[in-house]
Amino acid sequence: MKVNLSWLKRYVNIEEDPETLAADLTMFGLNVERVEKKTPGFEGVVFGRVIEVTGHPNADNLRVCKVDVGGGTPLSIVCGAPNVRPGLGVPVAVTGAVLSGDFKIKKTKLRGEVSEGMICSQSELELGNDSSGIMELDFELAYGTDLADKLCDTEVIFDIEITPNRPDQLSHLGIAREVAAMYDRELIMPELMELRSGGDFKIEIKNGDDCPRYSAALIDNVKIEESPEWIKQDLISVGIKPVNNIVDITNFVLMEMGQPLHAFDSDRLAEYAILVRRAVNGEKIKTLDGISRELKSNNLVITDRVNTIAVAGVMGGEETEISAHTESIILESAIFNPKVIRQSRRELGLDTEASYRFERGSDIGITVNALKRACKLIEDLKAGSVKKLYSDTLDSDISVYRKMISTRRKKVNRIMGTNLSSEEIASHLEKLQLDTIVKEETVNVSVPTFRLDLNTEIDIIEEVARVYGYDSIKGEGTGLINSFPVIDSTDKRNEYLCEYLASKGYAEVITSSFNSKEDLETFGWSANDRRCNPVQISNPLTSSQSVLRTSLIPGLLGVVANNPVSERKGIRIFEMGKVFLHMNDGDGLPGEEFYLTAVLTRNSDPRQWISEERKIDYFDMKGELESILSIFNNLEDIRMVRKEEGNQKHIFQWYKKNKLLAESGKIPDETAKKYDIESKVFYFVVYLDNLERDGFTRKRYIDPSPYPAVKRDLCVMTGERVTFSEIKAVIYKNSKYLENILLFDYYKDDKPGNNKRSYTFTLNFRSEESTLKDKRIDKIIEKILRALEGQLKVFLRKE
Amino acid sequence: MIDGKIIGELEKSALEEISKAVNFKELENARINYIGRKGKITSTLRAIGKIPEEKRPEMGQLINDVKIKVSNAYEAKNSELSSGLSDKDPYPGDPTLPGRKNWQGGLHVLHKVTKEIKEIFYGMGYSLTEGPDVELDYYNFEALNFPSDHPSRDAQDTFYINRDILMRTQTSPVQVRFMEKNTPPVRIMSPGRVYRNETPDPSHSAEFFQMEGLYVDKNVSMVDLKNDLTFFVKTYFGYEAKLRFRPHFFPFTEPSAEVDMSCFVCKGEGCSVCGKTGWIEIMGAGMVHPNVFRFVGYEQDLYTGFAFGMGIDRIAMLKYGINDIRHFLNNDLRFLEQFWRQKGWE
Repeated sequence: MKVNLSWLKRYVNIEEDPETLAADLTMFGLNVERVEKKTPGFEGVVFGRVIEVTGHPNADNLRVCKVDVGGGTPLSIVCGAPNVRPGLGVPVAVTGAVLSGDFKIKKTKLRGEVSEGMICSQSELELGNDSSGIMELDFELAYGTDLADKLCDTEVIFDIEITPNRPDQLSHLGIAREVAAMYDRELIMPELMELRSGGDFKIEIKNGDDCPRYSAALIDNVKIEESPEWIKQDLISVGIKPVNNIVDITNFVLMEMGQPLHAFDSDRLAEYAILVRRAVNGEKIKTLDGISRELKSNNLVITDRVNTIAVAGVMGGEETEISAHTESIILESAIFNPKVIRQSRRELGLDTEASYRFERGSDIGITVNALKRACKLIEDLKAGSVKKLYSDTLDSDISVYRKMISTRRKKVNRIMGTNLSSEEIASHLEKLQLDTIVKEETVNVSVPTFRLDLNTEIDIIEEVARVYGYDSIKGEGTGLINSFPVIDSTDKRNEYLCEYLASKGYAEVITSSFNSKEDLETFGWSANDRRCNPVQISNPLTSSQSVLRTSLIPGLLGVVANNPVSERKGIRIFEMGKVFLHMNDGDGLPGEEFYLTAVLTRNSDPRQWISEERKIDYFDMKGELESILSIFNNLEDIRMVRKEEGNQKHIFQWYKKNKLLAESGKIPDETAKKYDIESKVFYFVVYLDNLERDGFTRKRYIDPSPYPAVKRDLCVMTGERVTFSEIKAVIYKNSKYLENILLFDYYKDDKPGNNKRSYTFTLNFRSEESTLKDKRIDKIIEKILRALEGQLKVFLRKE
Repeated sequence: MIDGKIIGELEKSALEEISKAVNFKELENARINYIGRKGKITSTLRAIGKIPEEKRPEMGQLINDVKIKVSNAYEAKNSELSSGLSDKDPYPGDPTLPGRKNWQGGLHVLHKVTKEIKEIFYGMGYSLTEGPDVELDYYNFEALNFPSDHPSRDAQDTFYINRDILMRTQTSPVQVRFMEKNTPPVRIMSPGRVYRNETPDPSHSAEFFQMEGLYVDKNVSMVDLKNDLTFFVKTYFGYEAKLRFRPHFFPFTEPSAEVDMSCFVCKGEGCSVCGKTGWIEIMGAGMVHPNVFRFVGYEQDLYTGFAFGMGIDRIAMLKYGINDIRHFLNNDLRFLEQFWRQKGWE
């Protein structure tokens, strides 16, 4: 909210400079986001004093003045202002000064007389609209002092962040109340006109929940005209456009006391009465902004029993708008149900100063005071004659609306970590205009109606803390609580994996959780794949962010596209993150699965003098995945299963027993092209939720065998469709002491139709108990070869 | 008495031992054992005086031949074992040629910052817990004391899946989920991704990261809150960092505070980073609101607690002077790699 400092000073004495006040308010919970000072619209204007005024020889309406601006001889200046007279302190634009519109002041001759500058009016300095004469400065300064700071400092605007729980701060008086509490100073209330209740104007409210209070005052002999300058300036300074005296007064009271008022042209009413009711579905009203709006039954309206004259708390109707011809008005000061106003505001898309306040809640005690204030201004400004009566729907005493909250001293100190006495607590609260009664360990607080936010003990405790000062509460970072964390083993594993991949040359990336449905469709996943059925956002930012990701691959391909080959010769990236998949049970939330997905493309190594360039290939990717899986598993326990789906031909799923641990594959070229990627793209996905974590954190150590390994090399051939993993499986099954199999040569005959292949590998045998004898190994080899031959038709290669 | 047979046996075993040697030590042992100064073969030469004089030249010749044979075998084996060694220049003429490189990788800067923060809180006894990104309105708002249809919700533009399900706008729902299932003492942290329906600009992103903290026990006060957060900030940003707590409003804490840190660029003098105030806002915090305790079924008069939340993106931006939050999800590798190392790699 914009707060004009000089306006604020009418209600509380403030000696502090604007910066100090801003800092203090911020620490009191009113965050001053900006301090705006009006920047001068001029340069080189100094303080001077008129010492002599003589007539102009050639012009009746001009005078020649001697003005002292310091520095020896007074200046001779020609001036036409009616108020120029000797002894006057004035702003003088001396030679070299620049006024608004890049108007440069030079020594010149006016109707034959030399003028060495210009005495300025308020409007010439852009300090106001007054151009009737020169500005009269009633302060004393050294002659020749630059006036920029002095004159422009008079208007300081604070932009204060008001939290939604404090509608009472949405006015100058509300802020002044906080300043008074903060500095323990007196609050000066604005002048009110005495009005008596008992107006004959009839007000009816259909539902008291919608409109807890409606007060109104009547004004006759209204004379619509422009407001005086000071009201206009005040309103402009806080961002409100002046309209006419009546409307400006309602807005002034709004910004002063926080209560929205509305003035109806009472001659335009069909009946001399007000009825507040819900709108009928389809009912129409043309609002002040000239737009015809259709209303629904959840909108609250003000009617004159016949016609709808306003959308309650949001905006008035055009029909009863104050115009130049208005002669009498009804001034409305009411409060409405925040939820109803919020709904109307949202549905009609109408954000107004009034709706903003009503939505946050209003003080039931303020309506009549706001009328009294407006009437006082109307009378002062001679804008109309006030009938000194008001009508009101509230018949009970306002004091019944004061809440009583009992606050335990012990609880206050327990929350704040202090040791305040009940009396100290009470004295802090009294500063905020809360009435207190201390009863030993309890402080009973009576809350004024404007403090809608104070309802329970904890609300009172917060006020105590605020006045006591958060900075006065101890806590310098020493004497911490001693407790033991549970180190999350999944998190530990994930952190390890990320570090591991980073050390292997992978860049970790973080991509959006949002995808477009089209993105997911480019992968050729079959229609019943759950990845093709994403969770939809009902109000997405853009259509390309309309669903939640079901795979990390689209995001990663986007990253490849964002890092073109001209910038990156090789890409190894990974993301560890959530995907969102539909679930049909439980609380309706989607299933969130945690994946590690990596994408590899372009060159396998940086281009360098020492090695040949090579493209990333299938085995680069496979090796990486195997090395990750082998951190947690024995690779021999994992099997690869080919999965054919749509146009994806090279997908493999990696299972341990029935648990799906990973998927690997190549992105179809068609898809890569859609992402503008020019090289083969390989990827792998590790399903982290299925991956072991205990095996990693609580691994049991095995004593290394003290006996040497015995190595045997074998070369076997096959013409059948047999894979290396099948060969390995048979070998493992048929050999005791086998530690590992190391393939070091592979040959495939490229002749078409020929499926001849040969595999050459080393077998490492080792025993935990003794050095293995050659004869024993020979027997094992024989057994292996028999099994390979019998089960797979794989033969030992003869030289 | 030495004879041809003994020499023959010595030769055989010497050659076998040399050929079986798998390292320099075994080979050296074999040499010393047979042809060293006190070796078995050398010793036979000394014993030659004990055989008849006429046989001495013949036997001497035989022993010498064997010694040369064994010696050659030793040399051959020695060079076999040393084949991997050379003291020649290990580079082709120019030792300043660039070394062989692999691609270099590293963690995303947001991960790095999260990790650093996490480690400090681990050290303070906070345990890690996580919650879903897609949340029930109940956990994200209602149980955190945001009444439905209340202006306090306006500050958090929300993505909805449907009326009851939304993308969490804060990590705070984890507090509720955790307290529902656990009894105090509760001391947890929860980093994670949050979502706001905001058009991206340099300081707003529809997706960003937060770190939530919660401590509930029988006598937790604002002093504890200030202690923990002060310890964290001073540990992370340096001991000279100062903190200030100023009153604010959050529906789920009361009293609530916004926490500012003294600007580390200007040390509180006022500069463009801190908007000339000398202070930088880094998190929100407060004492857990009794209504939240009511929602999770904690006895309000038995327990007190505090909660805090900080923007990880914001902390990373402050730490590295990043002026556009959109860099984080954009993943330009030229941006990301700056947080791994200085210049000078491919």
